[in-house]
Amino acid sequence: MEHYNMNLTLKVWRQKNKDAQGNFETYQVPGISSEMSFLEMFDVLNERLINEGKDPIAFDHDCREGICGMCSMHINGRAHGPWQGTTTCQLHMRAFKDGDTITVEPWRAGSFPVVRDLTVDRGAFDRIIEAGGFVSVNTGNAQDANSILIPKDKADEAFAAAACIGCGACVAACKNSSAMLFVSAKVSQLALLPQGQPEKKTRVLNMLAQMDKEGFGSCTNTGACEAECPKEISLTNIARLNREFIAAGFTYEK
Amino acid sequence: MKWSQFFNTSIGKKLLVGATGLFLCSFVIVHLAGNIQLLYNDGGEAFNVYATFMSHNSLIQFIAWGLKVVILLHAFIALQLTFKNRAARPVKYAINPGNQTSSWFSRQMAIMGSILLVFLIIHLKDFWWRMHYGELPEATYKGETYKDLYLATNEAFKELWVVILYVIGMIGLSFHLIHGFKSAFQTFGLNHVKYNGLINFIGVWVFGIIIPVGFAIIPLVIYFK
Repeated sequence: MEHYNMNLTLKVWRQKNKDAQGNFETYQVPGISSEMSFLEMFDVLNERLINEGKDPIAFDHDCREGICGMCSMHINGRAHGPWQGTTTCQLHMRAFKDGDTITVEPWRAGSFPVVRDLTVDRGAFDRIIEAGGFVSVNTGNAQDANSILIPKDKADEAFAAAACIGCGACVAACKNSSAMLFVSAKVSQLALLPQGQPEKKTRVLNMLAQMDKEGFGSCTNTGACEAECPKEISLTNIARLNREFIAAGFTYEK
Repeated sequence: MKWSQFFNTSIGKKLLVGATGLFLCSFVIVHLAGNIQLLYNDGGEAFNVYATFMSHNSLIQFIAWGLKVVILLHAFIALQLTFKNRAARPVKYAINPGNQTSSWFSRQMAIMGSILLVFLIIHLKDFWWRMHYGELPEATYKGETYKDLYLATNEAFKELWVVILYVIGMIGLSFHLIHGFKSAFQTFGLNHVKYNGLINFIGVWVFGIIIPVGFAIIPLVIYFK
């Protein structure tokens, strides 16, 4: 693809802290290369802001290779920008053209309070995992890998669910700020495997109770989460979460 | 988890909305099958005899009252969820994705449902209330006297605004069920590659098109007769 430079207008959400009133600031960003990543474009802008003695724009980022799930940006109304199955760090500036105005907002959800500018607190996800997104194993030598047989298709499905990086795009994209796609991926990756069976019922009941407690909305099956998920987690996981929850709710004795 | 806790979770409430919704889907089939008799060219005999049977049979009356409870339950829990869902995003986005990531009607369930609820109140007042508690002219077939609900519908649908109201109500029903029918199956966890096509097909064609169009045709035919 041919390289080109572009001049952009950026409208970025600025907010001092959790309780401050935020607002959009407009920045002119000239000479951006089509080969840059979206975050590199922010680096260029931030460097300039620092040189001008201004506050740089706070945004989350870590691996910059699409696997850590930190780069939460709502770009022109889309979680992680316009590309399918892509995190913000893997979004490249060739997605835009010269003269474009790009609006960048943080994830909007009551359960993800804004820490500063584009940075949000996704601790709610950690608390959901702590409620049951694990298997309890005794320490000691690892057992032989082939002692528990797992059908290949189940292993693949579990792996596809385990690809969830907990970025929160599902919550950001959902009109209800529902975390169902995230919770369903975390329940599914264990429900599909024999190792997940002993804690099957308590896991789904506790994780769902925590999800509700965190104030996320409920699922209305619009499919926006699946469309925006950078790891393309499938809605079939939400159906599995529902099945697991129904089965546990109807049969768990406590 | 106790039953009270189970049905107070987000999924538990959605299960109630889905189950009541599917029950209401079964009702619209029966209702259309009965109402289509309004189009018979028999001076209303078949329809009036049917309407009298429906309003006097005790089993049907039991189900009919259950139906009203189900409608209220469905609307109440769905609205409760809707308000909670809206509250889950206190600060809204400046720019929304629109139809890029989800279908328009899948996001309008509460709006379409509210249109249906308003429609239902007017509809029940117009016909159900008059049939049971109001004044209706009488018609005689084979020596038996019946309340002439057929005449009442024919008079009501001579008014243009009533016809428009009914067509709007059915547009609401169509959009509500295109998403609602398949959504209920997903909520029950019934998402399977071998059945999804069938569920989608029934949701779109039977509940999204045939039934609402069937209902809407009745006032239109009477108006233009």
